[in-house]
Amino acid sequence: MFSTGSKYFFGITFLGTIAFAIYMLLISESAIGGTALFGLVGATALLTGLLLFTRDGSNGEEGVAASAAAPTKSIWPLIAAVGTTLLLVGAITSTVVTLLGVVLLLAALVEWSVLSWSERASSDSAYNASLRKRLLNPIEFPVLAAVGLGVVILSFSRITLAVNKSVGAIAFIVLGSLVLAAGVLFSVRPNLKRGLVSGICVLGVVGIVAAGIASAGVGIREELVLAKEEGHYMHQECGAEKSEHFDKLPLEGVSATASVDTYIELIDGKLVASVQGFAGSQQSITVPRSNPTNILFRNKTEGEYRLVANLGSKTVADGVKEEVVHCTQLIEQGFEQLLTLNIPKPAEAGKPFTLTVPGLAGQSIEVIVP
Amino acid sequence: MRRRVVGVVSGIASALFLSGCATNAPQDTWQPKGPNAEIIDNLQKPVFAVAGIIGVIVTVAVIIAVIRFRDKGQPIPHQSHGNPALEITLTIIPALILTVVGVFTFRTVFDLAKTSDTEMIINVTGQQWWWEYDYPVQNEFGITQPIITSGQLVIPAGTKVLLRQTSRDVIHSYWIPALNGKRDAVPGRVHLNRIEADKPGIYAGQCTEFCGLSHANMRMEAVALSKADFAKWVANQLKPYTSPAENTLAKEGETVFMNQCVRCHQVNGMKRADGTPVIAAPDENIVSGAAPNLSHLMSRNTFAGATFDLLNKSCREDVWTADSESFGAKYLSGVSEDCLNQKDLRGWLRNAPAMKPMYANPALLTSTGGKYRGMPNLGLTEADIEKLVAYLLTLK
Repeated sequence: MFSTGSKYFFGITFLGTIAFAIYMLLISESAIGGTALFGLVGATALLTGLLLFTRDGSNGEEGVAASAAAPTKSIWPLIAAVGTTLLLVGAITSTVVTLLGVVLLLAALVEWSVLSWSERASSDSAYNASLRKRLLNPIEFPVLAAVGLGVVILSFSRITLAVNKSVGAIAFIVLGSLVLAAGVLFSVRPNLKRGLVSGICVLGVVGIVAAGIASAGVGIREELVLAKEEGHYMHQECGAEKSEHFDKLPLEGVSATASVDTYIELIDGKLVASVQGFAGSQQSITVPRSNPTNILFRNKTEGEYRLVANLGSKTVADGVKEEVVHCTQLIEQGFEQLLTLNIPKPAEAGKPFTLTVPGLAGQSIEVIVP
Repeated sequence: MRRRVVGVVSGIASALFLSGCATNAPQDTWQPKGPNAEIIDNLQKPVFAVAGIIGVIVTVAVIIAVIRFRDKGQPIPHQSHGNPALEITLTIIPALILTVVGVFTFRTVFDLAKTSDTEMIINVTGQQWWWEYDYPVQNEFGITQPIITSGQLVIPAGTKVLLRQTSRDVIHSYWIPALNGKRDAVPGRVHLNRIEADKPGIYAGQCTEFCGLSHANMRMEAVALSKADFAKWVANQLKPYTSPAENTLAKEGETVFMNQCVRCHQVNGMKRADGTPVIAAPDENIVSGAAPNLSHLMSRNTFAGATFDLLNKSCREDVWTADSESFGAKYLSGVSEDCLNQKDLRGWLRNAPAMKPMYANPALLTSTGGKYRGMPNLGLTEADIEKLVAYLLTLK
């Protein structure tokens, strides 16, 4: 009853109708978007009707088709319809949806074209099928494998982002071991039943994907949420706040903490500096002007302490000066935090720049800016 | 005609080949003047020899093949495929050569990275297009206060000096071939590079990481002094600032300096008439946030990123060709009025960007927020230049 062309446009009409309903009810009540989708539904419904009426424009003869066999059943018309619909829905909603539509449409275009061509290559349908496989399998298998791996990796990343860091590491080890064990099993027992091998693989993938979907629903763990909300350089003011997650931010933090010039440690209530290249501890450090210098403060003393950089004063208005002070957060024993100093001018005579820890008298490291 | 072409090509090739024999080549990588450069030299000579022999064999083989088996209309010879014995041999031999080179290379790399026996530390900061050197307090060398200088790195000979290199703007690379290999200076990072000079003398270098318009003009010189002479140099650098005598041209020059130059250039110890210290603000005017500190400028032999000499030609020649015994005294005498390279210094003060390209065109400064990447044309009058030269000569 349904011709090939009518199936395609019927698919678009059906999905367009669903998209129109979702858009109007859940996403937005925009007249433009609604009109566009309704127009799409109307146009494709008309085309569906025309194609049904004319039997895809066929005059009843089979023409010069080499193969007498009926066309192979194909899912590509439906995928092309989904792609087209997503393309249009994406234009209204999100770029990601558009891209997905483009990918599906391109895939359908290639597959459908090659399928159609191969079915007319000869009168031998088996040869035609092998021809299609020879052309498309080298593309299909790597793409499908990449997509499959991507889904598994994405799912697993959702799991590790949701659970505790240690649990994530354990899960990674367990999963890796299971994959290894399955690989070993398949290689030492090559005669395993195909159904069993497929079952194990499908079970594993479904399990990971399901867990990934569940984890995505839960969301990322709290400390990562906090780290994302806090800018790396926003905690240099000396307030009462505390942040345990400051140096765990993965983006800017990695490069900075990999380039530490000076380590300032608070050991048993005493402040000591270790500078890259210098042997032993220092009681003064030299910092070049106008150049970011990364200092890592480690609290190895019981209690919460912060490192304070006292960098003189700057003129903020005529005759008005303001103290320049940068701080780390209050951090507990065993934690560390980065402080990046960028000092544009040397200290005035008799007013040296210093690094101090509030609450600890007599503990000071001089910061010399030549 | 053919003979003439062969003759010209041979002549050019010979000239290029013989240029490698030049002895007066201050940046020659084959003339190590310190233990670190020696370590590299000990590796590169045998590697060069092996690579050279292989290169010659391959080149000759290719030339023979090209000439002897060129297409002369002969029938295509018998085609054979594969010769396992030959292929395996030709794989194993290069692998063995590379393994041996690799072992010695790793050993060299680790030897050069050794810092545990460092005797002296100097911070080296690169920026477009000059190098700044600051000496942290090191009482064992008499450095009781930090010293800051530029253009010329002064070190004691026979001392293991650790350079802590970084950059204020883009990536630069510090290389004084006679003393060690090259090491990048990267913004936000401190890279360690050790140098040591066997004898007193001047050793030339050049930034080797393309860093912008005047990369080719970003030079450096390492000046090695005997330990006694180095102590004298340190003592001179720690001398407090002395303002020129009243009613002199130099005193007027100091006023011009305070009105113009001090926006970027610091002279330690300089004070205004009301007694307040003069502190330069290069961070407000230059992209890198720094300009050369001109304290004791005339104790150096170069300016503008070691691009130009402060000494005139004859005095410079006198210092550069001095033997290691007399070198220290000649270097420490600094720049006198008679020896001053008046032409280049005045030209620099008159219009610096004309002598060294430095993005001085205001139309090109929009991307830098109006800040320069070097010294702009200050529009000084000839009278101001006269006064400034007189003042700068007092900065010994």
